[in-house]
Amino acid sequence: MALTRRSYWAMAVGSLIFRLILICFSDDLNLGSRPEVATPVTSLRRLAEGYWLKNSSMSPYSGSMYHGSPLLLPVLGPLTIKRVEGLPSHLFCSSIFIIIDFITAMLIRATGHKLMSTNHQSLQRLNLSCVQETMGCTNVGDLASLIFLWNPFTLITCVGSSTSPIDNLMVVLAIYGACSGLPSLAAFGWVVATHLSLYPAILVIPVILLLGYGPDVPPSKLFLLGKSDDSGSDYPSDKTCSKQRSKEGSPVYLFSWRPALCFILWSLIWSSYIFFLSFISLKEFGGLSEMMKKTHGFILNVEDLSPNIGVFWYFFAEVFEFFRSFFLIVFHINILFMLVPLVIRLRHRPCFLAFVYIAIMSMLKSYPSVGDSALYLGLLGLFANELAEMRFPFFLLCGYFGISLLSPVMHNLWIWRGTGNANFYFATGIAYASLQTVLIVESVSTILKHDRMLRNKLTA
Amino acid sequence: MPAEEDQTKQPRPRPRLIVLIASYLVSHSSIFSVVCCIAGLIAILLLPVLAKNTYISENALMPGSANPVFSGQDVSEAIRLVKDITEMRKMGKTTGIEIQRLIVQRMADVGGEAYYHKFQSQSNQFHPLRFFSCDSNLVLTKSGSNTSYGLNTVGIIHAPHGDGKEAIVLVTPYNGENVELNDALSLGLGFSIFSHLSHVSWLAKDIVWLAADARYGEYSSVSAWLKDYHNPVFFSSENVDANMQNTNMLNGRNADVFKRAGTMAAALVFKITEKMERDSRDSLNIYAEASNGQMPNLDLINVVHYLAVHRQGFRVTIGKIVYLVNSAWLNLVGQILEWSNKLAKSLNPKWNFGILSADYVEGVATLASSMYYQALGVPTGSHGAFRDYQVDAITFTFSPRFYLNNENVQSSFLLRGGRLIEGTIRSVNNLLEKFHQSFFLYMMTAPNKFVSVGVYMIGFALLALPLPVVAAALFLNQKATGTAGIQEAKIAFQSWKWLHAARVVLMIHLWALIASLMPYFISQISNLTATESMLLWVVGSISILLVLYMTLGSPYSRSGDVEWQTLKAVMIASVTIGLGLMSIINFATAQIGALLIVPLCLLVRPLKRHMQGALSLRVLSLVCNPILVVIGFPPAALVLVKGFSEGFGGVSIGTVWEVAEFLWAWNSATYLYVFLVHLPCWVLCIQILFHP
Repeated sequence: MALTRRSYWAMAVGSLIFRLILICFSDDLNLGSRPEVATPVTSLRRLAEGYWLKNSSMSPYSGSMYHGSPLLLPVLGPLTIKRVEGLPSHLFCSSIFIIIDFITAMLIRATGHKLMSTNHQSLQRLNLSCVQETMGCTNVGDLASLIFLWNPFTLITCVGSSTSPIDNLMVVLAIYGACSGLPSLAAFGWVVATHLSLYPAILVIPVILLLGYGPDVPPSKLFLLGKSDDSGSDYPSDKTCSKQRSKEGSPVYLFSWRPALCFILWSLIWSSYIFFLSFISLKEFGGLSEMMKKTHGFILNVEDLSPNIGVFWYFFAEVFEFFRSFFLIVFHINILFMLVPLVIRLRHRPCFLAFVYIAIMSMLKSYPSVGDSALYLGLLGLFANELAEMRFPFFLLCGYFGISLLSPVMHNLWIWRGTGNANFYFATGIAYASLQTVLIVESVSTILKHDRMLRNKLTA
Repeated sequence: MPAEEDQTKQPRPRPRLIVLIASYLVSHSSIFSVVCCIAGLIAILLLPVLAKNTYISENALMPGSANPVFSGQDVSEAIRLVKDITEMRKMGKTTGIEIQRLIVQRMADVGGEAYYHKFQSQSNQFHPLRFFSCDSNLVLTKSGSNTSYGLNTVGIIHAPHGDGKEAIVLVTPYNGENVELNDALSLGLGFSIFSHLSHVSWLAKDIVWLAADARYGEYSSVSAWLKDYHNPVFFSSENVDANMQNTNMLNGRNADVFKRAGTMAAALVFKITEKMERDSRDSLNIYAEASNGQMPNLDLINVVHYLAVHRQGFRVTIGKIVYLVNSAWLNLVGQILEWSNKLAKSLNPKWNFGILSADYVEGVATLASSMYYQALGVPTGSHGAFRDYQVDAITFTFSPRFYLNNENVQSSFLLRGGRLIEGTIRSVNNLLEKFHQSFFLYMMTAPNKFVSVGVYMIGFALLALPLPVVAAALFLNQKATGTAGIQEAKIAFQSWKWLHAARVVLMIHLWALIASLMPYFISQISNLTATESMLLWVVGSISILLVLYMTLGSPYSRSGDVEWQTLKAVMIASVTIGLGLMSIINFATAQIGALLIVPLCLLVRPLKRHMQGALSLRVLSLVCNPILVVIGFPPAALVLVKGFSEGFGGVSIGTVWEVAEFLWAWNSATYLYVFLVHLPCWVLCIQILFHP
């Protein structure tokens, strides 16, 4: 598992070159029109349409085509119309996305290094550094960033002209900023991610926890346990772990309010800044209320019922108009229901909590795409040491492969051949959601088991 | 003490039933897989017995409820056109566009809208990344000097009761360069129906008659017309210039006029052929297979079959493999079935399934042909072009029992053919929505018997079921033996050891992907014979495999890393996914592929490994593995099939290349299956066989 520095960079650069090669065929692959890759919120084609509308001094939101942020228009818009003869149409945008993917991977790597050093320190403080030796210690940063870069989902999202790489970058930026104790950066990432796709708003909990408590550590009880043991009698000498006494009795589990308050202040500043910019760009076209209605309102109201890999479209295509608002609340509250129990159980591991939140988000989103899965699968690599004993990894891998191949086939059967119907495609959506559920449940239970194992080691 | 033991046992949770069943299956995986495979084979052999009689599912069709009014007068119209065409042929004017002009003239005379459709012949060739792409923006932009044009003629009758939103399409393909008598008769039949329909009052859907110029193949002319029908092309001035030279020849009609009727409800392709062997009745041959094993709605075949048999007295046949009808072992199976049926009947008179040996053999031969054409993924006629636009279409060919040039036979034959087509159109005309009631996924065992998806899936499912069970068993065994010996120290990544095997499998699949794309690049090199191309392909593939071994590491270099059990488990998992996918894309391919690959996957184990178990088992494995490996290799299987059906004389290395080119050119998913599922699995099996 050990990767030398050289091979790491070779693989990272290799993934970028592979993306470049894929981009050359992007017109033939035609991924931008796949429902799995580009959703109504993230599609670059719609962005080009919005840019065109805005250039002809109409509201970019007129005609229900564009539903993204108005700030993306001046950034990506000019690139969508720039063409080079003989090269694929979205060449410039795709190159931007390659760079963004690379930055995201680097941020994940840096986060991984932070997590590793914290983990190492805390285990030493618990006198359990032997655990690391026996369990093996992977360089999780390298692993996670390579998983992210070589994940087929990331690859097709990058090539498939959708703006989800930007969303992912912002989410990772927020986590990285929180991990390294930079409230301003974390606030920027969080605010922009929320502005772009709304759902990352729930990441405010793990980000504040990260800023308050620092990165993932074993549960606080263990530290207390460790200390009470310290004061107790001597250990038998035939311990599997040779425990060196560490006398520094620093308080390990104190919430530091300063960075958290800083974060709140900074997010206020950043969000007002974002609102100000949006207001300027949409001054003549209905202003901020129009923007909120057409972006976040569109996400919450599930207006576009075209099929995607999520579970919303099928249900809301069937439901009676009368019950629509009720079920909208029910579906959206699903995410919120899970927030509190998870934060109570996993508050000592805020980074992992963020991963779980992102996975839940990408499962229960109104317009999910494989780009969202790409993000949480990349972050999964950050917890490789803790999740080493996860059950069913092979089954999960086969499931992901199977579903991602089955979904386009079912779509073809329904839309092009006419021999299948909507149920066929929705079945793959259900299977995909259950697969993600298994992943989340297994990873959470493995982390809890890991903590229990640490406690057993400590008390044994 | 016992009480204490009870107490300690009490809190232990009982595993759930489903877990119990799963663990039981996994622990008895070998017996389970043998039973499943045999049951699957039996289920496949029993398919002709399980076939159901066809029935008309859509009530609106009402076939045969109206008396046909297609009369002798219409037949005389047809005869007149046939005579005109034969006279033209005698005068030697058939090479140009005289026939097209004549047809358009006649169409206009009976009050239809008529126009010419000019199309470019496109040679089928390798083109990259176009599988399943239904994107029609990909217009061929090649404008070489050797482009040749064909000229279709199209007539439209607008329905007096219709809103012009739906249409029924009739197609008569004929060879525009050299019109034979049967082509002339097909045109005559088509025209007589067209003229008959131009003055009927019951028509609710428009009628489009396409006289397809099949000088570059039936399929290409029909598909070119369909493409233009569904995707409007806006002519630029250059195109008009190029067309100018023909304009004066076409009676001043502009060749660029393209008229449309509504969306197509159904399409009937019909032609008249001369039969080689004489028969007591006129016969009607139905072809239905479209690309990638898609079939038209069964109701369409039913309507034609019902009218042909019960109203017009045709003998309906569908394709069958004659080789199988005479095969001894199949006859033996048929006799065994008949005998067992008799036995069952003697035990209980109610158990009468009515199986006859001859019927069974016929059924198997027809089913095999149905499956073969579906698995090939290449349409059996120009109806295939319609299926790409979700239009149900079939081809039927009439063959009269006497020689065609007998005029008395001609008129009675045309009368009955015309009445059949009229009746079919009348039924389709009744439809309120497009065909949806009956089956789309089925195989025919006789013209009036079919096996639906619910039945034929059983055999495949039974064949494929052992795969995940055996994979799980291998995986769990490996885990158990792996962790037992090793200390606690390395537990952590023990559960991830399968990643090494997964890497090998992934590498082989990558190789297969590259190898499957190579023919495109080889075909770019001009002046290569099929044999040379094939050799180039083989050499290229093997060298790429070696390069991949060198860069990514061979599976034997660190043999400790990759246990063969794990490798086999991962391979079986990948094959399961591949077969499952293929069973959805093209069931017949998956079925045939499963028959070849499943036994190989289940039986394969290293040759060098000392085998536990009885001597007979060892011998069985030693004998079976090489045979299965040979049969499982796609080119070898192809050569064997070709050799047995056509004789080994015509088989060479180039044959494989030709077949691959054929499959690629028709966008057959079978090509993808063979190269992305079957071949990598075979290579991995070889690796396991020679595992140290």
